[in-house]
Amino acid sequence: MRSARVLLTAVVLAAALAPARPGLASPEDIFGYGSRSPGMGATGPASADGFEAAYANPALLAGLRDRKFTLGFQGASFHLTANGPGLPGLIPYDEAKGVTIGVALPIPFGGILKDRVGVGLAFYTPTAVLVRGDILYPETPQFSLLPDRAQLLAIVLGAGVDIGYGVRIGAGFSAVAQLEGSVVAATDATGHVGTRVEDQLIAVYAPIIGATYDLPVGKPHTWRVGATFRGTLAASFLVSLDGSKLTSLPIPILNIGGLAQYDPAQVAVEAAYDTKPLLVAVGATYKRWSQYPGPLEPTLTCPSTDASCSALSPASIGYHDTVAIHVGADHAIPVTRSLTAHVRAGYFLEPTPLPSTLPASTAYSSSTHAVVDLPTRYFDATRHAITAGGGLEISPVTVDLYGQLHLLQPRTETFTSGPVGEPGTSSQASVGGHVLVAGMLVGVKF
Amino acid sequence: MARSRCARGLTLAVLLLAGLGVARPASANPLDAFGFGSRGAAMGSAAAADVQDFSANYYNPAGLALARSLEVSLGYFRADSYLYMNGQNNQVDPVHGLVGGLVAPGQLFGVPFAFGLGLHLPDQRLSRVRALPQDQPVWELYDNRNQRVYLAANLAVSPFKWLQIGGGLSFMAATAGSVDITGNVDVLKVESSEVRNQVSADLTAIRYPQVGARIAVNDRLAFALVYRGQFRLTLDLDATLAGDISLGAAGTPLTTALYTLQTDSVNAFLPQQVVVGSSWSPIDDLKVDLDLTWVNWSAYVAPVAQVSINLDIPPPQGGWPASISPPTTPVATAVIPIVMHDRVVPHVGAEWRAIVRPKYQGFLRAGYEFDQSPIAPQTGQTNYVDRDRHAFSAGVGVRLVKLTSVLPGDVRVDAHGQLSVLPTSLTLKSDPSDLVGDYTAGGHIWNVGGTVTVGF
Repeated sequence: MRSARVLLTAVVLAAALAPARPGLASPEDIFGYGSRSPGMGATGPASADGFEAAYANPALLAGLRDRKFTLGFQGASFHLTANGPGLPGLIPYDEAKGVTIGVALPIPFGGILKDRVGVGLAFYTPTAVLVRGDILYPETPQFSLLPDRAQLLAIVLGAGVDIGYGVRIGAGFSAVAQLEGSVVAATDATGHVGTRVEDQLIAVYAPIIGATYDLPVGKPHTWRVGATFRGTLAASFLVSLDGSKLTSLPIPILNIGGLAQYDPAQVAVEAAYDTKPLLVAVGATYKRWSQYPGPLEPTLTCPSTDASCSALSPASIGYHDTVAIHVGADHAIPVTRSLTAHVRAGYFLEPTPLPSTLPASTAYSSSTHAVVDLPTRYFDATRHAITAGGGLEISPVTVDLYGQLHLLQPRTETFTSGPVGEPGTSSQASVGGHVLVAGMLVGVKF
Repeated sequence: MARSRCARGLTLAVLLLAGLGVARPASANPLDAFGFGSRGAAMGSAAAADVQDFSANYYNPAGLALARSLEVSLGYFRADSYLYMNGQNNQVDPVHGLVGGLVAPGQLFGVPFAFGLGLHLPDQRLSRVRALPQDQPVWELYDNRNQRVYLAANLAVSPFKWLQIGGGLSFMAATAGSVDITGNVDVLKVESSEVRNQVSADLTAIRYPQVGARIAVNDRLAFALVYRGQFRLTLDLDATLAGDISLGAAGTPLTTALYTLQTDSVNAFLPQQVVVGSSWSPIDDLKVDLDLTWVNWSAYVAPVAQVSINLDIPPPQGGWPASISPPTTPVATAVIPIVMHDRVVPHVGAEWRAIVRPKYQGFLRAGYEFDQSPIAPQTGQTNYVDRDRHAFSAGVGVRLVKLTSVLPGDVRVDAHGQLSVLPTSLTLKSDPSDLVGDYTAGGHIWNVGGTVTVGF
């Protein structure tokens, strides 16, 4: 017992302090979230377990019976290609790595609320950055919907209540930070330049609401259906740059920024068949990408009363809504009385919201001294994700592993040719590639 | 057996030192000035050896291991500053927002274990970085430093009944980015300028540690040692503007301009701290706590932007129009380092359980804290205004036991008030021609709030 105490103390201190150094992880909307779901085809609205239900469906938190703390690591590497004359082929992106912290807490009410309320907290912090905003010129070849969206701090908090008759409901939120600010440069009376810099991190929230229904009612269920609504989660980068006080030369106040991160509003539905040793889940998620305005915002905004204003505006891409399909299974294998192994597999289909024909963007050309059309080189493709995972339960400890292989379905995109003299004159691109994801989580009940 | 215990103690000590070893500098914090939770705030923030609720996430993570039931807390506080220079209210922004957290205790391999989460969520923003010209007078420790979120997660264990150890991380974000702006600026109609931008910006994670230990000598006396790391918020921004300057929309340009701006700011610097605390119960219903906090103010970094500007605009053929004066590259300001001194801040507090009934208990609390200003006299060009702070606090609390069958534990309601007095004094400038000149400064800060805790 004493050695256990010392060991436990060491583990606690190590766990508490280790994340001070780089870790890993990647956002829930792309890879799924939690210990079990990423290995099961990112299923969850009817099948999530433990803290991962805070994101997948907070109603399932009502079923928590054990306090559990989970610490995990996740990494994703991207091999994304865009081929064609003037295009780079492989477009390099940083790996997305991060740390997952999850807490599952059944709330020990008494009376009519006994064993009916649970709370989950899910926290994912990328190793390198909390939010990455690469808002590049549209003619720069880029997969704007995939790698950088994986570099995002995710905080999810949810609570679920069992209201009886096989019905559970839950609610929570996702939170992310966005940056707003200003930089004003000016000279003082002595001719020295100084700046007033002010920026603020503002929290933005997206609601998560869910419900599940167990069948048959009043008996150990074998079927469960679940539905989850998640609101739009969008993080901007908005900084105004004012250099007009440096000279009498008129310099406009520049709005620097764009939409650094965006998860569309979505509704996920799922049915799960659970015979205890075997769990099978099938679901679909509708994502309202048509509301996505694109990453760019105008540097100068025309006054609404000035019809002759000719400031540049970003092209309207015309993203379209998608429906993703998720399938997953978990098979529990008792090894000994105290050891249970789990084998998991799954698949999900994530259609691209990006149209295959992209409108032209505009820019001022320093060579022709005129506004010209430029190709909008945004790339994306439908992803087929094959997932696998496994787990061990040795009370009070659980260990879960998962891996995912995302294959981008090859497709051809068409866009406006670049002007003469500009690099990249291709009007078509062949898009493809793959993404590899792996993660491990260790949980402990206490 | 004795040798084994010795080895165990040594192991723990090494682990703790290892924890301290990885600690790196951290930054500014509203909880340092106004406390965390109403109980701690009412007791002058003297809580390192006497805390086991959610506020242990800040005061001493080791205290989490003393909790015996799941607790969830939620509260609110507001601090309004009335700080004056030469009799004029400087309108220092108030600090207000939610406070809360949870403590989830349990057992692992028979050893008491706990997870804790603490949060201060300002109403208006998660954090603010503000860098002003260094000669502009500003209440350096109250104007902007306290405008930020506090989020901390901790784990704690109690390997022996007399010992608790805990630690964890607090989280913040810094900003780094580059901006590239290109196009054509129409000097006759700037809003029609054909410019666009691209941004590469990262909010980078800042994690800084806190670790603590608590040793109970007996049921009436305990000591504590806490370390809080240092952090700094930064805003590093590079901007490049390259393009034509023309009269009227796209046409023959007057000239071609290149303008680069690089600004690096450090703000909200929170120095590392070491707290030595004690808690003594001379009688059953009275606790007297004393904390001494060493604050490494001498490492403070002035929140002034380091600016580098290059402006290259060749004159157009035929010269500039008469209405426009030729722009020149401005001279960069030399940043004068701020001089600050390390300080030891005493905190004293007392809690008297004045009412004891089977179904409820009542508490009275009081405290005092003295913050000697760490900023050197501002006799030169800089104007980082500060004064010594005497913080008097008081509070009440009620604990209700087994209110209903739904709540088998207790409900605690605590409230606090704190008055910080900053005596007015005169700052004399060494240069009679100083643009700001001599000034008096002083004032006071009110801080009130309440916290509700539900224990299960």
